[in-house]
Formats: sequence, C-alpha cells, structure tokens
Amino acid sequence: MQNIADLLLSTVEKHSDRTAVVEGERKVRYDNLYSMVQGLSSFLLSKGIGHGDRVAIFLPNSIELITSFFAIANIGAVSVPMSSAYREEEIKFYVSHSSAKLVLTEEKLKPIAERASAGTEASILPIKGETLNWPFSGANEQIIRTNIEQEDEAIYLYSTGSTGKPKRVARTHFNLLALADNHTRSVGWTEEDRILFTVPISHTYGFGNFISAVKAGASIHTLGEFNRNRVLDSIEKERITVFPAVPFMLSVLAETFPQKNRNLSSLKLVISAGAPLSKETSHKFHNKFGIYPRQLYGSTETGVISINLSDDIETKLDSVGRPVKNVEVIILTEDGSRCETNEIGEIAVKSPSMAAGYYGLAEESEKAFRNGYYFTGDLGRMDDEGYLYIVGRKKLFINISGNKVDPAELEALLSQHPKVREAAIIGVNDNFGNEIVKAVIVPESDMETKEVYEFFKGKISDFKIPRIIEFREEIPKSPTGKVLRERLRQESD
Amino acid sequence: MTEEIKERIKKVLVRKLLQGLNPEDIQDDTSLIELGVGADSVATLEFVVALEEEFQLSIDEDEINPELLATVSNISDYISRRIKP
Repeated sequence: MQNIADLLLSTVEKHSDRTAVVEGERKVRYDNLYSMVQGLSSFLLSKGIGHGDRVAIFLPNSIELITSFFAIANIGAVSVPMSSAYREEEIKFYVSHSSAKLVLTEEKLKPIAERASAGTEASILPIKGETLNWPFSGANEQIIRTNIEQEDEAIYLYSTGSTGKPKRVARTHFNLLALADNHTRSVGWTEEDRILFTVPISHTYGFGNFISAVKAGASIHTLGEFNRNRVLDSIEKERITVFPAVPFMLSVLAETFPQKNRNLSSLKLVISAGAPLSKETSHKFHNKFGIYPRQLYGSTETGVISINLSDDIETKLDSVGRPVKNVEVIILTEDGSRCETNEIGEIAVKSPSMAAGYYGLAEESEKAFRNGYYFTGDLGRMDDEGYLYIVGRKKLFINISGNKVDPAELEALLSQHPKVREAAIIGVNDNFGNEIVKAVIVPESDMETKEVYEFFKGKISDFKIPRIIEFREEIPKSPTGKVLRERLRQESD
Repeated sequence: MTEEIKERIKKVLVRKLLQGLNPEDIQDDTSLIELGVGADSVATLEFVVALEEEFQLSIDEDEINPELLATVSNISDYISRRIKP
C-alpha cells in the first residue's frame, strides 16, 4: 500500500457493499463512497487543483467531509481540515497560513468562509447543503492516483503553539498509513464495527480513529455537535460498537438526569482522550452504562501513542495504557537519562506516524523533535507492566475538556483592548476539579466583565473564553519580569 | 415557589458558572449573557446538567438558547412550566 488512495481502494475491494458512512438518514456504501471520491477528485483536477496544492475542509462530521479528504488525497493534494465551529479570525489564520487554494464547505458556512478568506488566494466551494445534490460525477481514473509517493504530504494538522499561534504539522501518506495500521492492529477493529463520531474528524483524535475505521472497513456514524440524547439514540438505534469521546462528554452522560432506560449493550469500546479522565467519572459511567471508558493518549504531532486495553481495568483506570504497535515511549529525566520504573519524567515518543517537525519553526522543531523522538512536554511515569500514566504538563496549556488553550494567544488578544494594560491567563480548577480559564486583568481605566466578553465575541472559539475574570491593580512577577502564574493559581484556590 | 426556584437557580449558577459571585449578587433580571453565561458551550451544558439534577427533570440541548439563558427569571419561568403538576 503506497498511499491513502490505495488504503480506500483496498477497503472498497474487500467490503464494497458494506456501509461506509451513516449521517442521519443518509447512508453510503464503500463502493458509493468511492464513486463520490472519484467524482470530486476529477472536479478538483478540472479546477486546477493538483499535486501539493492545499485544500481546506471546513465541514462538520459528514459524508462530504470524508469524501473531501479522500478526493484530495487521491490527486496528491493536501487536506487542511478545520473545525466547523471555528470563528472568522481562526479560519483566516488557517487558510492563509496553509496557502489554501480552495475551501470546501457547506452552504450555511459559506458566508463566514468568504469573509475569512478575503484577501487570500482561496476560493470557496460549498459541496453540502439543503439545496445541493452531490454534483460531481464521472472520473478519469487514469489521471487520478498517479504519482503519489509515500513521502508526499497528505494532511496539515495544527498543534497549539506556545508562541500564541498554532504550529503546522504535516503528515505524509506514509505517516497516515502507519497510523491506521498501528491503531487497527492494537485495537482490533473489524468491518463489523460501527463507530460513532461526535468528536470532530477535523481534529487529530477524531481523524486518527476515522482513518483506522476506514482501514478496517468499519462503518462511520457521524453526528454533528455533541448532544446527549442524539448520542444515546444513535448508540441504541444504530447498535454502535465503538464510541470515541472526551472526558466532558462522558461526565455529562454519566451525570445526566435519566430520561429513560437505555440499552447500550452493543458498545464494546468507549474511548476517552484529550484530557485526563477522573476515576470518579469512570466509575459513574460504568455504574450507569455497564462499561468502563478506556483512556487513549496521542498528540497532533504523533497520532495515537497508547491506549488502555487492560483486562484488569479497575486497577488501572487512570492509566493511558500501553504504547500501540510500532510506537516506542520513553520517559526521560531533566538531564536526558532514562527514568526508572514509576519515576516521573518527560514523555518522548518514536512512531512511524509522527511528523518530522513544525513548518517554518526551526528552533521549536529542534527542541521538540530530537534524536528521532518527539518530546511531548507531558510528564509521566511507566509502571512495571509498561502502563503509562500522565501526571502533568511541562507546557503551559490549559486543557478544557480536551481542547487546548494557549494562554499566550488570549493574552496577546486581550492586550489589543484599549482598556487593558496587562493581562494574564491561567488555568484554575472549578469545584469539580475540571480546569477552566481565568483572566486576570490590570485595566487602564474602569472596566466591566461584560466589556471583556463583548471583546471576545466572534474572535475565538467559545471554549477559550475565560470562565472567570478578575480585575487587579497589578500582576505578580518575578525579578526577571516573568508572570508568577503558579502564585496566581494558588491565590485562586 | 417562584422565588424559591430563582434562589435555587442562582445557587447552581454560582456553583457551576459564576464562581466569582455570590447568589445575592445576581438579580432576577441581570443579563446573564453579559456575565458570560452561554458563551462557552461546555460550561453551559454542565450548568444544564446541574439544573437537571437540582430540579429532577431532563432538558434537551435543543431547548437551550440565548433567550432561555438571558436571565434568572427566564430560566425560572422555564423550570416552573416543566415542574408544574
């Protein structure tokens, strides 16, 4: 198998009449999906999109998103998936930074896509909507799927950056084939599986599960935004076997006031990733639904790193499991030597699905990618059975239910407000131990909380908006001028 | 009964979303949106789950909109309609 196009074709040849994607009442088989992919590929070529060109995908989880990814890969172009929840400033960044030539989107997102792309070379093409029937048919197989090498870039994903801007990571066809292989061989999915995607496929976690699902020939059941009843209805009605989730989803599902008894007996695997899953949530979920969630650990830079499939899960609930096939994990002390069993150090990963570095950031790449390993910035330990435990972070990011918030990004944005003299963004715990964003602001003049919220509106995704705002006369700093974030956090407790 | 419902809503608000305030700081018709309520969908859903537990009823996400969350009075009216015998 040389590239992603081969991966899809291989699945189509083995499972042509099996369901590939379910989106509400819509359903496509693998052979239909292949035809749609070929049609869109042909259309993209006719529009001058070719090898190496970037195509942004600004769509919710859907048949069209999945078709777009494969259609772009088919012609050797590069996908730049974007969450359909992104705001205008965020879309503008991704489209211009990736030099996207085209944005594939849906009708209702077209206006924001157009505003965001103004001034860039990208044109906007809606391929999904109430008034659209799939318009692409006919394909020249001789043109498509040629000259795509394993080392060609297939997708750009963006990792939250410490400079305040996300860092671009390119994954090649080889990386993605390895990712799908590592994942499916470790988790054991088959064509009989039905996998529910309410986590966004545009994000590395959803994407990794999606590409693995296709490799296995499983069916992909897409949902838009998380909705408790729709998730539970889908699991029951469609007899879902695998549910990738984030801790927040599992927590609200476990705590939600019962509407009716639910039969979730089809579930054989519930995955939790993106943030640590508390033992309390694990137990609550198990008590209510009869299955323990299994933690998965990964990163945008590497894809999946480990998953907890322990037979003795109750004694290892807070572990993120053992490394998946072909992935090596080591734990290192500050001076670079290997940690002892259960000694805490920085987690470093070697994986065939990992990126080579960050685009345009040589210094950051050199720090993070060294000697064939990716240094995650996460602190962890490994027990004597090889199970990995994440215990903290070296980096400053705030983790909001699996979404990473970079304090520098919000601080830079706040500094643009005429009434803000200085600001510091920290993560604090709410009453339930979940991390939330707090803004500490030194105003130039009288300022109210509502002015801060009005300022943020429409500029950033809503999970980044501070839950707590505190106005102060000054922000504590070290003698060298570094903000004393730990003191601010402690004062918030 | 309505006043009691409002007080319970305010306590849930402070516990889940507005940790920097006391219930007495929130008037019945204070604009909650200006305090950031509803800006963050994750926090909003956690608040809804807490309301469900407090009042022993289920609230579908499709029912949650800016008008419902605009003020304590609005939330109280909704809860009152739902728990009316």
